[in-house]
Amino acid sequence: MKDTQRQGAVRPYDLRSPRVKIGFALMTIFCVFAVLMALLPVAWVILSGLKDLKEFNRGVKGLDNHYHQQLLPAVFTLDGYLDTWNQMKYVRYYLNSFAVAAGSVLCAVLFNGLLAYGLSRLKPRGWKIVYGLIMGTLMVPATTAIVPLFINITQLSMGGTFWPLWLSAGASAFYVVLFKNFYDTMPDSLLEAARLDGCDNWRLFFKIVLPLSMPINIVIMIYAINAAWSDFLLPYLVLSGTKLETVMVRLFTYRTSDRINNMDIIRAIVFSIIPPIVLFIAFQRQLTQNVISAGIKG
Amino acid sequence: MLNQPLVPRNALHHGKWKTDLAAWLVMLPGLVLFAFFIWEPIVQALRLSLYEANGMRIVRFVGLDNYRSVMLQPDFWPAVRNTFLYLLWSLIIGYLLPMVLAIFIHESVRGKSLYRTAIYLPNIVPALATVFLWRYLFKSDAYGGLNMLLAIFGVPPQDWLNNASRVIPLIVVTMTWKGAGATALLYLAGLQGINPELYEAAIIDGANIRQRIFHVTLPQLYNLARTLFILQVIAVFQILYEPLVMTNGGPNNASVSLMQTVFRYAFEKYDYSRASAVSVLISIALIVLTLVYNKVNREKEM
Repeated sequence: MKDTQRQGAVRPYDLRSPRVKIGFALMTIFCVFAVLMALLPVAWVILSGLKDLKEFNRGVKGLDNHYHQQLLPAVFTLDGYLDTWNQMKYVRYYLNSFAVAAGSVLCAVLFNGLLAYGLSRLKPRGWKIVYGLIMGTLMVPATTAIVPLFINITQLSMGGTFWPLWLSAGASAFYVVLFKNFYDTMPDSLLEAARLDGCDNWRLFFKIVLPLSMPINIVIMIYAINAAWSDFLLPYLVLSGTKLETVMVRLFTYRTSDRINNMDIIRAIVFSIIPPIVLFIAFQRQLTQNVISAGIKG
Repeated sequence: MLNQPLVPRNALHHGKWKTDLAAWLVMLPGLVLFAFFIWEPIVQALRLSLYEANGMRIVRFVGLDNYRSVMLQPDFWPAVRNTFLYLLWSLIIGYLLPMVLAIFIHESVRGKSLYRTAIYLPNIVPALATVFLWRYLFKSDAYGGLNMLLAIFGVPPQDWLNNASRVIPLIVVTMTWKGAGATALLYLAGLQGINPELYEAAIIDGANIRQRIFHVTLPQLYNLARTLFILQVIAVFQILYEPLVMTNGGPNNASVSLMQTVFRYAFEKYDYSRASAVSVLISIALIVLTLVYNKVNREKEM
């Protein structure tokens, strides 16, 4: 490693002292421990899903003829996962969750983007009041609104449809702030040139602002997909008991159900974790770097 | 409009109100959604809490009766106490940990990107999956994850969550597992923003490593740490999924949270007025906490 990359409190020449060396070693142990703590629970649940019910509940018969619990499954086979997948009809819940995520992404980028564009570039008289209201909602707990919102949705007969879930992604103060911060840094000259060419606000947004904002668009898209996939309270209230239940709503119903055995719940947990993990692996860099810098600015 | 460009220079001809109107039209869809999903329901929650309701139908104005009656319920004061205990434990277990972790990772030479990626992973595990996962780790049976681990060392199975004095710290461990890595990455971004010349200056002044950390690193993180403090308070105050799934508030209301009483009123008893009353109380508590916190901080700065 180059010296220029070490710009923290500890400098290479500090490491000549044995005390610092020991401290440094302890620090590395701490970091490795943190990594293990982060990864092992997830690894445990995935491996447990490979066991069959008897093995999970009782353990494996050892040489002493007693049953022992083992962390690793006795046989590595995906049959258990396939059984649960088919029996619990997970294809449907996956498709439902994907549908919720797709619509949410669209709404999140479109509506929050347009609103932020207005607040950042157009600034009509009174925009500060609206911006204040949006910032204010960051302070009020989101859950305050859930009961009346549920009542409104029911009275508008939007229960049992994806619409409330899709559209609710279009009202996120956090996304508006992220978009606005990004648009604030866009050079005026580009927008002015397009305006002189006769673009109105809408064309300006769709032809210029949106395509030029890919970094923030991607960040918001990842956030929105993850939020839509993970969200459970509103989907539970809106979709519970219908054919449109998402993966998370299904998982929640296992909270109290006695008819579902441990293995099916364990595998349901894994099914609900896999897509976010795939998303995470695919967009690791954006998630651990871009998101952060966007967040800091806000 | 009229096929003419909306150039600001033309504003005089069109009148500024026309440009304003065009701008508001762009923002309208977003504003409608904010009104429907956030603003109107908040106002509605306030109103509903002052009325007697029969299901979703408002019956009559009852003033503060709903507030009085929720406070007389047997699970209200345990929920208040527990919510503050969650807060306290989350600060003890989870507040400094991300900062320390971030400083350690920042000072590391090798493995930085592995550390960053690994500690962020729990954050993308959905909240509901996290609490189900930890429920299995804390299971009292021999197949519980932690009990399996203890068995390797010959320790008999423990009844982890079914114990009033340790249930809250254990639930906080779960929350910390999920949140600490993402918070550490925020601190890491803050650390990367520290001007290296500050360290150079400190070194020239003869500062040792501890002095550099305490006089350069930590003061530079102060603002971020302050923001994250209040964000953590706001988030933990609304804790719901963890007790709901892991313990259902037990044993004997030892882990029931305020948000969970809202959930019970609204979606188990269908008593929307009292549910709103409790959620309004939570909001007031949070707004007061935030304002007091900001005021104290401002005075400190002067």
